[in-house]
Amino acid sequence: MLKSLLERFQRLNPLLFACMAGLIVIGVAFVYSACSVREDPELRMLYMRHAEMGVAGFVVYLLLAWANYRTVIRRWGWLVYLVGLVLLALVPLIGEAHMGARRWLFGIQPSEPAKLAVVMLLAWLYSRRDVKRGAVMFLLTVIAVGVPAVLILMQPDLGTAMVLVPTVFAMLFTARVAPRIVWSCVLVGVSAATLILGLIYTAEKSDLPRERREQLIAMTHLKPHQVRRLQVFLFPDKDLHGSGYNRRQSEIAVGSGGVWGKGYLKGEQYMLGYLPPSVSSNDFIFAVLAEEAGFAGSLTVLLLFLGLLVSGLWVAIRCQDDTGRLFCVGIITLTFSHMFINIAMTIGIMPITGLPLPFISYGRTFMLTMMAAFGIVQSVSIYGRESETRF
Amino acid sequence: MGSYGQKLTDSWRIALFALLFTAGIVFLAVSLHRVQVERFSVLALDQLRQSVRRVQVPGPRGRIFDRNGVCLADNRASYCIAYYVEELRKRGPWINTIRAVDADVDRLAAELGIPRQISFAAISNHVLQSLPMPLLAWRDVDQETLARWAETVEPFPAVDVFVQPERIYPQGALAAHVLGYVGRDRPLPLPGQKIHFYLPEMIGKQGIEQQYNSTLTGTSGGRLIRVDARGYKHAVWEGEPSVAGADVHLTLDVEVQRALEKVLRGWRGAGVVIDPRNGEVLALTSSPTFNPNDFVPILTPGVWKRLNDDPALPLFNRAVLGRYAPGSTFKPVTAIAALRHGISPDLTYVCGGVFELGTMRLRCWNTYGHGEIAMRKAIEQSCNAFFCHLGHTIGFGPVYEEARRLGLGAPTGIDLPSEAGGLLPTGAWKEKKMRDAWRPGDTCQIAIGQGLLLTTPLQMALLTATFANGGTVYRPHLVRRAGLPEKLNTMAWSPEALALVRGGMHDVAELGTGRRVRVRGTSVAAKTGTAEVDVGGVRRKNTWVTAFAPFEQPTVAIAIVVESGESGGLTVAPMVHDVLAAIFGEAPPEERNGTTDTTAPEVRGD
Repeated sequence: MLKSLLERFQRLNPLLFACMAGLIVIGVAFVYSACSVREDPELRMLYMRHAEMGVAGFVVYLLLAWANYRTVIRRWGWLVYLVGLVLLALVPLIGEAHMGARRWLFGIQPSEPAKLAVVMLLAWLYSRRDVKRGAVMFLLTVIAVGVPAVLILMQPDLGTAMVLVPTVFAMLFTARVAPRIVWSCVLVGVSAATLILGLIYTAEKSDLPRERREQLIAMTHLKPHQVRRLQVFLFPDKDLHGSGYNRRQSEIAVGSGGVWGKGYLKGEQYMLGYLPPSVSSNDFIFAVLAEEAGFAGSLTVLLLFLGLLVSGLWVAIRCQDDTGRLFCVGIITLTFSHMFINIAMTIGIMPITGLPLPFISYGRTFMLTMMAAFGIVQSVSIYGRESETRF
Repeated sequence: MGSYGQKLTDSWRIALFALLFTAGIVFLAVSLHRVQVERFSVLALDQLRQSVRRVQVPGPRGRIFDRNGVCLADNRASYCIAYYVEELRKRGPWINTIRAVDADVDRLAAELGIPRQISFAAISNHVLQSLPMPLLAWRDVDQETLARWAETVEPFPAVDVFVQPERIYPQGALAAHVLGYVGRDRPLPLPGQKIHFYLPEMIGKQGIEQQYNSTLTGTSGGRLIRVDARGYKHAVWEGEPSVAGADVHLTLDVEVQRALEKVLRGWRGAGVVIDPRNGEVLALTSSPTFNPNDFVPILTPGVWKRLNDDPALPLFNRAVLGRYAPGSTFKPVTAIAALRHGISPDLTYVCGGVFELGTMRLRCWNTYGHGEIAMRKAIEQSCNAFFCHLGHTIGFGPVYEEARRLGLGAPTGIDLPSEAGGLLPTGAWKEKKMRDAWRPGDTCQIAIGQGLLLTTPLQMALLTATFANGGTVYRPHLVRRAGLPEKLNTMAWSPEALALVRGGMHDVAELGTGRRVRVRGTSVAAKTGTAEVDVGGVRRKNTWVTAFAPFEQPTVAIAIVVESGESGGLTVAPMVHDVLAAIFGEAPPEERNGTTDTTAPEVRGD
């Protein structure tokens, strides 16, 4: 028993674990930095909450790595999905609102485990032999993803809902589900995005009468704050004290870090409050890191992510069944999307969307979710190399 | 139960993602390189720009000294009780912080037992506009309050003592009109630098303080303040240091100034003492005067009202701005103009007590008349009829030309911010202003220093100095300067003509109307004058004495005017005597003449 346990843990992917652990340590260190200037003693201890979640998450991580992912995904995946759906549905009814968005339920954000649930459900669905991977499956996917996505959009949390899109498409692509429909969707999506940006650009740049411009903006069917974010993305210098403020301040934070940074606990942007304390420990944690640790620190974080993503995909390639492979692809794509959008937004090359940086941003539900997800990826590493004995 | 297939997915598709994600990370790395390495200097500067505030700190103001190094204007440390608002910051809207400061000021006022000096509105203004600067709640507090504050410092963490230089005039009101006073204002902006805040600088408002403001003002330094996103002070570091202003050394002699002010105390009038050898002003005063220390640290409305409403106009510098008819003190000008114009020095005229010209009758002060009188005697006796006749004979042109060349009718250009030019009228001027032709009577009036002629005491002192030094008009000045004195004009006077006029003036002091100026041990030349003026229907006499001494080698020329005096000889001559005695010292009275000296010499008329 002990021997087999040891054997199993020898099959853990060490790089995957090391990169994750490294990112968590960095995360705790810079959450400490970011919240050290808070006046409220509870908020100053935020980094401890983050570290506690790292420890709790590590237990979950080990448990899920030890359990066979096939059992977890195939037997419990749909249940996790259903529970997630119920929790999401409860949020608008009894959830707690912070800063204009109703996202919390008993202190957790159901939208985070919902992402994991969607990946689990799709990995289970696509690996079933008794279902054809055609248009019906695509429709099923749309419904399975659409219901939680709409619930998340209603919170509103556009970022979380949007991050599902690349994740699902990566899984659809890997599982070869209805390729023609998938490619058409990609085409339509890209065209729509181009159209929306084009409309906003035209409305802003040309000297049309005000009503006509408002008409153009209305054609995008976006909420005013979303339009503002896109405007800021297209015209960074437009409104530096209003909607463009965070973007501008995080850009200054990152840029003023230079090559080697200002030194740990010496970042000025968050210390002087130019980077608002409400965002410096979560969505904009990378700005704090980049200011204090410089380009060297940024590059370290990028390399850790690269190690995490590549070893995750390596686990997928070595896996002998579709359930494990698709799950890994989904989780790795989700992680990459989070990382890419977050860092790109921090340096102003993407519109601002409230997406946390995996393992580094403060966010307890997200932290636990990601550790659980990577626990299952390790499980794939342990159990997936052998082909299934049961037919 | 469904069954799960073996691998149906292609490994290359997964590998494609590995490639895609690697590309994404490389893209991020390149973008980060651009922001953090390539744009580092720009963005670091942007950060400084948004969080650093530059405070302009004026340099210490230069001091003012008299010719012997006596300090007339200095700086002292003024202790203020200041609030550092960042220590009292409150969350939420600004009004919370403003209220917190306001309440703390009340608390401290009660603790110290001193009334509040700062209003709620002023606190509000400070918080909204000069947040990172110290808020001066009490200015210029006394030692006792300071001591009490030191005992109660503990419960007031946001309060500290703030020291700022304040102007002090150690000699009090002495030479107030020369020195002027200072106010506080925003310092001159430094070229090419954006200044967010400033400590108010002392700005000269009158006199030397204003005239030499740029010399006295130092070069402002900068102090840099790091502020947080809300504008509170986070840290301070010194930028370039400020440089003290240069000291100014005056030609004034406090001893002469003190003597001059002493004689004029209680009168409305003015006096100027000039060194005839170079135009240096040794003393210049206007009476009544004011104390420039009253303007420090700030001019209170009460003091300002008192000074402004005083009918004696204490702020008005009569010495350079007062316009008075010179009366008989002008007669030497008429005399020398006539001599230059070919009138014989031996000319005599019979004074019958009145000079008649057509319908005009000009009375001599001696109603019985002086009889047949020559020029030197006419100066000594100040005979109006003689000088009316003289003026009428040569006409207005020569008199005008001589007076103009002596500096009348235009500002002398003394180094004070404002100066009146007086009035030396011409025919054209009279046509234009009074719509009347120039009449021979006008010439006669001006020949005896009356009529339309107006001069300032400074001009009369300058004129006297010119007679004293033999005909060189030096520009009067208050600040010592290197090099040769600046000449405004050189009069082309023949030695004989000059000797005659100077001799006449010598006789005035020895025998004539100005006998009371005599100083034992020093020979003096003088000229008295009494000009009748009509001020709002009341006849008033402006009484003058101009004098220079010692007669042979003059080192001092003086002009004093007193409003509403008895006569030049009675009112002003003793004043001039006191000033000259203070300058030259007076020999003790000789025994033989003791009796004659105790009774004042009888002085009659003008």
